[in-house]
Amino acid sequence: MVSKDELRHLGWISRINLSEEEIETFHHQLGDTIKYIDVLETFDSENLTLDYLEVEFSNLREDKTIEFTRDLIPKSSLAQEGYVKGPKMI
Amino acid sequence: MSNLYDLGALEAHRGINQGDFTAEEYVWSIIERIERVEGKVHAFITLNKENALNDAREIDKKIRTKEDAGSLAGVTVGIKDNISTHGLKTTCASKMLENYVPPYDATVVERLKNHGAIVIGKLNLDEFGMGSTTEYSRYGPTHNPWNLDYVPGGSSGGSGAAVSSRECAISLGSDTGGSVRCPASFCSVVGLKPTYGSVSRFGLISYANSLEQIGPICRTVEDVVTVMNAISGHDPNDNTCFLLRSNVPYLHIKKDTAPSSIAIVKELIDGCDPAVSRTIYSALDKFKEFGWESTEISLKSVNYALPSYYTIAMAEASSNLARYDNIRYGFSLPVEGFEWNTYISNVRSNFGEEVKRRILIGSYVLSSGYYSKYYLKARQLRSLLRQELLSNFGKYDLLVGPTMPVLPFRIGEKIDDPLKMYLMDVDTVLANLAGIPAISIPAGHSNGLPIGLQLMAGPFQEQKLIDAASLLENAIDIARSPEI
Repeated sequence: MVSKDELRHLGWISRINLSEEEIETFHHQLGDTIKYIDVLETFDSENLTLDYLEVEFSNLREDKTIEFTRDLIPKSSLAQEGYVKGPKMI
Repeated sequence: MSNLYDLGALEAHRGINQGDFTAEEYVWSIIERIERVEGKVHAFITLNKENALNDAREIDKKIRTKEDAGSLAGVTVGIKDNISTHGLKTTCASKMLENYVPPYDATVVERLKNHGAIVIGKLNLDEFGMGSTTEYSRYGPTHNPWNLDYVPGGSSGGSGAAVSSRECAISLGSDTGGSVRCPASFCSVVGLKPTYGSVSRFGLISYANSLEQIGPICRTVEDVVTVMNAISGHDPNDNTCFLLRSNVPYLHIKKDTAPSSIAIVKELIDGCDPAVSRTIYSALDKFKEFGWESTEISLKSVNYALPSYYTIAMAEASSNLARYDNIRYGFSLPVEGFEWNTYISNVRSNFGEEVKRRILIGSYVLSSGYYSKYYLKARQLRSLLRQELLSNFGKYDLLVGPTMPVLPFRIGEKIDDPLKMYLMDVDTVLANLAGIPAISIPAGHSNGLPIGLQLMAGPFQEQKLIDAASLLENAIDIARSPEI
């Protein structure tokens, strides 16, 4: 079960403001879902390994510089004088 | 044939190529069809009429001058609105991307265009592909053409409904836990989730990268083959797409198919709606009539598949959706008066409820102290499930079961109970967890509502799925498209 305080903290680390109404609804809904996935605990996985997708290093996408196109800037609702203005970083 | 919009992809292509009608006449017919039924179905988020007509005129010019116009010349395709289209809005059915216009085409879109296909519009989905009914779209739900009060499935509900209602010949969807197969089943059309790594994901807006694949939804198996031959194969822009491209088509329709062995997975059919299980067993009888061997098997890890799937999918969602900060695209909310974190938390509260729920649970299962309890365990179970499935593909050619354990239901019926919605994906998530291909093929109707049969095969064994689906399609004549 997730407590309401834990839910507020999850909202903060996920950068999502949750209203009190949402806290009330999600508290139950997320609780049900987490209770459901708790079944994973009952499976003995001690000797199990993990599968990985192996990709040859030489097949990785080449790192390359792509010319920045300024045509995209005006599409932002925060565009000002050829730049995108973001909120203050404190 | 009474109308051009009734034509499947190959029929339309043949007619245009032979000069029976022009691509422009065909596209006009599709546009008129959309104008007539779209108000009832609501399959599209954005229409691309003018560009589609211009593209059709270009195709007609090529046909007139005897240039090669491509294997899908003139065929209308609808694209799920989480697949990038150059110059055409791609919203993911989210307000967060309401005005986002991609500066490039996804590889699959580029390949379809190179084969002469015409993009008629962008199709509705659950916000960011998170849902099984299309009710979580921020632009309103899509309606099932077979009963307009019912859900069309999801998350590619627009893709299923548009093909079934003949608003386009073919469509693309994306399948993270069944999102191509579920709407194919609920709308009585054919949907293929290809092997992970056979179709490029470049340009697909990510929800859960390790699970999702782009796949076709069509009215016939033959059209699925044509689309797959156009879109599949290696793409240097997607490191996980490693199927080699060659001049030999990846798939084909065989005239005669040798009998194969199929195994029905007990856990997939136990507990499903009685009308669904009756239809599936009746379809299996058809295979037996053709001399196919059929066995029932039990897979012990299947019962853990759904909790594993949701743990992994939500963990990946919380990471993938962290990028939406509203700075480069998003709502019109001025930044003045906000500190960075407050601003972002405010704008991100505009995600829909289901997206928020999945991000929150994803953050929870990845948190310190819970990571090994949930996420690591889910990954281990995923490996076990894959091994168990692969070992069975050594004994049987195909595994079979219903696509969905339930019939389509009324819009709004389950919206307040997210867990009930998640449980519907129990039969489809196996293929995503194991990275194997799976197809949904119409198997019957109950009270006018469609039922789909799901076939699964080993990695890169799509041809086996096509052989079986084609056999069933010829053996049982199931309507693909209702009167609306």
